[in-house]
This record gives sequence, C-alpha cells and structure tokens, in this order.
Amino acid sequence: MIHFEHVTRTYGPKVAVSDLTLRIPAGELFAFLGPNGAGKTTAIKMLVGLLHPTSGTVRVGGCDTATRAREAARLIGFVPDEAFLYDKLSGREFLQFVAEMRGLSPAEMEDRIEREAATFELNGFLDELTETYSHGMRQRLVFASALLHDPPVLVLDEPTVGLDPKSVRLLKDLLRARAAAGMAVFMSTHTLAIAEEIADRIGIIDRGRLLFLGTLDELRRARATAGTSLEHLFLELTANGNGDAAGQGTRPALVPRSE
Amino acid sequence: MIHDDLEVRISLAARPPKVRPLLSGPEEAYAFWRMRRRMLRTVLGQMLREGRLRLTMVFFLSLLLWLGLFWLFHDAFVFLDTAIPTPQLYDRTVQTVFGLFFGTLMVMLVFSSAILLYSSLFRGHDVPLLLTMPARAERVFLTKFQEAIVMSSWAFLLLGSPMLLSYGVVHRAPWYFYAVLAPLLVAFTYVPAGIGAVACLGIVHRVPGGRWWVLVMAGLAVLVGAVVLARSLLAGAEDNLLTVGWFQEMLNRLEITEHRLLPSWWLSTGVLQAARGQWRDAVMFLALMISNALFFRQLAIWTAARLYRAAYSRLHGRRVAKRRTRAAWIDRATLAATRLFPVQVRLLIVKDLRLFRRDPVQWSQFLIFASLLALYFLNIRRFSYDIYYVGWVNAVSFLNVSVVGLLLSTFTTRFVFPMISLEGRRFWFLGLLPVHRDTILWSKFLFAVGCSIIPSSLLILLSDAMLRVQPVVAASHQLTCLVLCFGLSGLAVGLGAKMPSLREESPSRIAAGFGGTLVLVLSTLYIVVVVLLTAVPCHFYFGAQGAARYFDNPGRFHLFLERWLLIGTLGSLVLGSLTTAAPMYLGFRAFRRIEF
Repeated sequence: MIHFEHVTRTYGPKVAVSDLTLRIPAGELFAFLGPNGAGKTTAIKMLVGLLHPTSGTVRVGGCDTATRAREAARLIGFVPDEAFLYDKLSGREFLQFVAEMRGLSPAEMEDRIEREAATFELNGFLDELTETYSHGMRQRLVFASALLHDPPVLVLDEPTVGLDPKSVRLLKDLLRARAAAGMAVFMSTHTLAIAEEIADRIGIIDRGRLLFLGTLDELRRARATAGTSLEHLFLELTANGNGDAAGQGTRPALVPRSE
Repeated sequence: MIHDDLEVRISLAARPPKVRPLLSGPEEAYAFWRMRRRMLRTVLGQMLREGRLRLTMVFFLSLLLWLGLFWLFHDAFVFLDTAIPTPQLYDRTVQTVFGLFFGTLMVMLVFSSAILLYSSLFRGHDVPLLLTMPARAERVFLTKFQEAIVMSSWAFLLLGSPMLLSYGVVHRAPWYFYAVLAPLLVAFTYVPAGIGAVACLGIVHRVPGGRWWVLVMAGLAVLVGAVVLARSLLAGAEDNLLTVGWFQEMLNRLEITEHRLLPSWWLSTGVLQAARGQWRDAVMFLALMISNALFFRQLAIWTAARLYRAAYSRLHGRRVAKRRTRAAWIDRATLAATRLFPVQVRLLIVKDLRLFRRDPVQWSQFLIFASLLALYFLNIRRFSYDIYYVGWVNAVSFLNVSVVGLLLSTFTTRFVFPMISLEGRRFWFLGLLPVHRDTILWSKFLFAVGCSIIPSSLLILLSDAMLRVQPVVAASHQLTCLVLCFGLSGLAVGLGAKMPSLREESPSRIAAGFGGTLVLVLSTLYIVVVVLLTAVPCHFYFGAQGAARYFDNPGRFHLFLERWLLIGTLGSLVLGSLTTAAPMYLGFRAFRRIEF
C-alpha cells in the first residue's frame, strides 16, 4: 500500500533521507523510529505529498505522491505533529469541511461525525470554536478528521504528544483494530514503548539512513541480544553516530534485501 | 467498565478502509465556499459583539478619509476646469492624471498581491492541511487569490472611488458612468493581481532561495523609474507654473501613461468616455477590461495548477542557512547607555531589543514609514515653502511633528502595547526569576521610550533643518517630541499591563483588539492636544512679533505672548506627566495581581 522506492531527499548539501526503500502492505502497523533530525518528518512529508523526493518515488496505492497528489491524498488520513485547525470554525464545522472534501454524502457525513465524536469523546465541545480547545482536545479532533473517511492509509507523526493516558490507550487499541481491518498505518514516534507494544514492524532511521527494518524479534536476533528492550536496542543502534558525514554512517544497515 | 466502553467504541470505529471518488470541480468549490462562509459569519459575529469600538472607528475614519478625498478631488477638477482654457487640453490633462493614478496603483497592486499571495500560499498555517487533502492545487490557489484580491483592492477602491465619483459630479456625467465604475474597477484589479500571482508562483518555483532578492531588485527598478520620472517633471517646473505651456510640457513628459497597451489607459479611457456620454466606447472598454481580467485570472490558475505543489515543495525543501547570533554592538551600546539602571532592568531591555530586532515583521513596516517620512522631509525644499509661503513654515514644522507623533503612536500601539500580553506565554520563565514584577514593567517602559525617542527626535531634527526653523522653535519641537515619547510609551505599556490578552499569540491581533484600539484613540487625542498646546502659542509668538508695533503698548503685548507660550509649554509638560504616570500606575497595580 505504501512504497518508498530508492527515495533520497536533500536540503542543499544536507541529505535528510538517503536511498530509502520501504514497502508497507495493507493491514500492517509500521512504527518509524529515529532520533531528532533523523529524517522521519521529511519521509512523512514526502509520503503525504508536501515535499517531493530529490530522487526516487513514493507511491500510495500505486499513485506517485509527487505527480498524482490528489489520487494519493484521497487514500490517506494524516495526523501531523503540529496540526492546524481553523480557529473560527467549531469542531463540528471543521469535521464537516473535511468530510465534504473527502467526498462523503450528507447522510454519511453526519453518521461518521457522530461515530468519531463518540470514539474520541468530542461531544462535550464539538460545537465550540476550536480556538478555545486545549492541546489534547485539538489532537483528538485531528484524529477524528483523519479517520472520518476510513482511509486505506493512516499516517501519524508523533501522535501521542499531549494526550492523556486514557487517550493514549484508546489510540493504541484503535490503531491495532484499524490495522486488523485492513488499514496500513505509518506512525513515527519517540515513545518506544508504544512501538514495542503495537507495531508489526519497526524501521529505525538515523541521519537519513534506514538502519534497521523488521520485527522486534528480528532486531533482537540481529543484535544477538535476546530479551533486550527496544529502548536498549534503539540506543545501541543509533549510538556513536556523531561526527559521521550526513547520511554516510559507516555501520552496515540491518535491512532485508527484499526491501 | 472503562475497558468495556473502549472496546465498544473501537469495534464501532474499526471499519474496513474505503476508497472514495474524487470531488468534481463545482463540489470542491462548494465545500470551500461553505467553509469560508462559516468562518466569515463567525468573524463578523465576534466583531459585532467584541470589537464594536474598533469597527465604529474604522468605519468613521474611512468615511472621513473618503469625504476628505472626495472634497479634494472635487475642488481639483473644478480648478482644472477653470485653469485650463481649451477643452482638448483639459481632456488630455484629466486622461493623463487618471492614467498616472491608475498606472501607479497598478504597479502597487502587482507588488501587494504578489506579497499577499506568497504569505498565504507558501506560509499559511492551513496550507499543509489543504495540500494533504484531495483538493486541486488550483482550487487552493483560487481561494487564496480571491482573498488577496479583496485584501489588496479595498485601499484601491477607497482611494479611487472618490476621485471618479467627484469627476462624475463635476461633469454631470450620465447614469451609466456610475453603472460602469464598479465593474471596471473590479475587472481592473484582476489584471495586476493575476500578474502578481504568476510572478509569485514563478519566482518561488524557479528561485525559492533568492525570492526576496528578486523582489527587492524589482522594487528598486520601480523606485528608480519613479525617481527619474519625478525629476523630469520637477525640472524647470517653476518658471511658467500652471500656464498652458506648462500643462503641455507636463503632458508630453507623462506620455508613457497613455500607452495603448496599458490596462490603466483602458480604465481611464472607459471612465472618461462614459462621462462624456459615449456609452458605446465605454461598453467596449468595459468588455476589453473584463476579457483581460478573465484572461489573467485563467493564466494565474493555469500557472498554479502546474507550479504550485512543486513550488511549495521547493521552498520548504531548500536549505535554510543557520543563523548564528552573538552580542551585537547595539546590545553592548544599550548596556552601556543604561548603566545607571539596575542590572535586571538592563538585561530585560537587551532581551526585548534582541527579540524585536530578530523579528523583521516587527520593525519592517515601521522602517518603511519612517523612511518615507525622512524622504518627504529631505525633499521639503522642493515644495518651495521658503519662497512662496514663508509664514507657513512654523505651521508646516508643527504638522511634521504631529505626523512623527502619529507614526510613533502606530509603533507604540502595534509593538509596545502587545509586549505584556506576549510575556504571558513566557511567564513560566520570567515569573520564576528573582525579579520584582515592577522591574519587568519598568524595563518595558524604558525600552519603549528609548526605541521611540531616537528615531522621532532625529526625524523632527531633519524636518526642522530642511525647513530652516528658528533654534527656539527647534528646541520647542524637541521638547514636544520628548513629551510625546514618554506619554505614548506610558499609555502603551500601562494599558498593555492593565488589559492584556494572555491567550493571544499574534501581536497584530492583540493590537487590533479593544485595548489596542483604545490606546490608538487615546494616543491620537494626546498627540493633537500636546501639539496644539505648544504649536498655537509658538505660531502666534513668532508670527505676530512684527505686529507688536501697531499696539499701544508693545511691551504688554510681548508679555502676553510670552505668558501664553510659557503656559502652553507647561501645560504640555503637565499633560505629558499625567499621561505617563496614570496608565503606568494602573498598569503596575494590575500587573502585580495578574495570574498567568
């Protein structure tokens, strides 16, 4: 469903993402991990069509996100790290706009808004202007807007920031349930425990290079450290990186040949 | 229980994914239109509930400006009618005046729409949301383009409509003159806006890193052209002023405004033909203008469909140079200049100065206005006050002081007033420092006084030097400037602490709220009263000295003028002290109690 094919993205001489190749099938929950400035958000911006790759292609459902942006966008629900809401619209009006843009019929729209409002407990403030919302309320509304149209692909950039423990629990269960129903979920996060708990596969990126791609067990086997936590493995894998040329780390990447 | 509830909600939400068809063009347009209608309704409702003072002020000031312009243009057309003896020369003169006016506005509209579109298409907070939805790039563009048209054309309508209406009134134009005005003006606006849009998209697409250089170069080219034209007009203009020969010479020099390919010429010709009763020609020019407006609109949409997404990616994917900062000479100079104050006050002033300096949005508009004012002062002699209107020199010099004061009041309202509100979000840091709250407010006040006193004092000095006013008058101006700086800073800082908007992040929105509007109104009144208190006695003192010999007791007359001057100066000092102290007292009281 998601396909990065030899994708490189540079900012002048700086290589933000280097030769990234990655396939995420429908029904998989993929966690994208990496330290600050590793290239996660750049990869996500290319996935949702905001940035175009310097070389290579990013496809969603077979649609190139650079050249067929609209076709790709209709397949995606996106939760950015800093979401924008129109201050002068109420939560309901915002959801109605998103639903209209996503092609939902009026009856379907009302049904989905009620469903997402119940899921994310928005009913207490849905008719208030979004300018009065707290960070957590805004975040929940953005989740609702990303899931309104039941997209085949859900892209989340740091989704748990600002959420209370109950909402985090809801989100984790919801993502698993959505993936089980056939959705491809691409999630970047710094919260390793969440990745460890719910991800089918993880990818670890550092200074633009994909260092590891596979399941947690595969990572443990590759590092010959059975029973070790993801946190420990992550720190070990991304350690000693300072001082390398951008994206030119000397450590061999643990990426299966098939990718 | 919670667990069960979650399971139910998740099972309801977990549906298999669905691929939906893309929206048609009209469906997409309708969704955007509904969204904007809802926002407009909310904004208008909020404005009517919470911003009545500002709304009323904007309405009445706009009306005042419109009526003033109407009166000015009316008299100007009556004057031209009587001053120019031949109808052919009169027609050509009016055509040239219109052509020059609309040509200038066209250039300004190209720049303003390009800049507005750049900020909304490439810097708008909502753009990532819109571009990650299945919306056409040209739809997003069109939405922003329409907003830019409205934003950049209201000033054009405010300035253009009194001129055209007064022309129609003076010449008793037929009804269809008034009927074609609005469509002609609206269609005309689309042409420069379309050119600006294409330029904006093209520049960001081709040279995303050097976009501001291209803009500066284009601006400089226009400025050089304007200066060359102005110099050619002013050369030798005084010898045969307002004679037929002079008019003829001026028209020949402005021939460029009558080029047949200029939309400004189509507009002015369409308007004039309608006023002359030539309705067929008027309709033809209206059709020409509308067809060109549609062409440029379509060209802009076509360009956006091809370039917008790629340009957005290029702009946000370019390498951004890292800004390294260190203590600049201005920080060291500020620390040295404030040596007498406590160290905490000095550090807070330097902190505010750094924040202010490193945010060009904060000072660029102020710098442009101050530069324009300085340019006017430098060219003041070209207006020949010393040759023709010697008696007016004092009055003009005090008017210049008022203008500097008004510029200063925009600075204190727009930048100083929001400072306390903006500290709301940083108060976790300031509040934990071992600093008394009064110290924070004092530092803001001293920062405001320091920042306002230097440029305004220099501007007034420049005006006085160019007008060659007497040293005593220049000293009086400097005293007035001091009184204005203290009073305006006191008003902005004191009322900023008394009426903060702690939730608001945007300085412009804070300034546009009730508190900011109140500060602007009070500042304007304060400037008028202070200038009148010092200017009127000063004007009479120096203007009427020559007349003293006609009085029975010249000594007594002198004494009366001196007393009046003294009372006026003392009055302005007392008013200045009160205007500084009273808001600051209220501000201190409120700021000590405020909960962040």
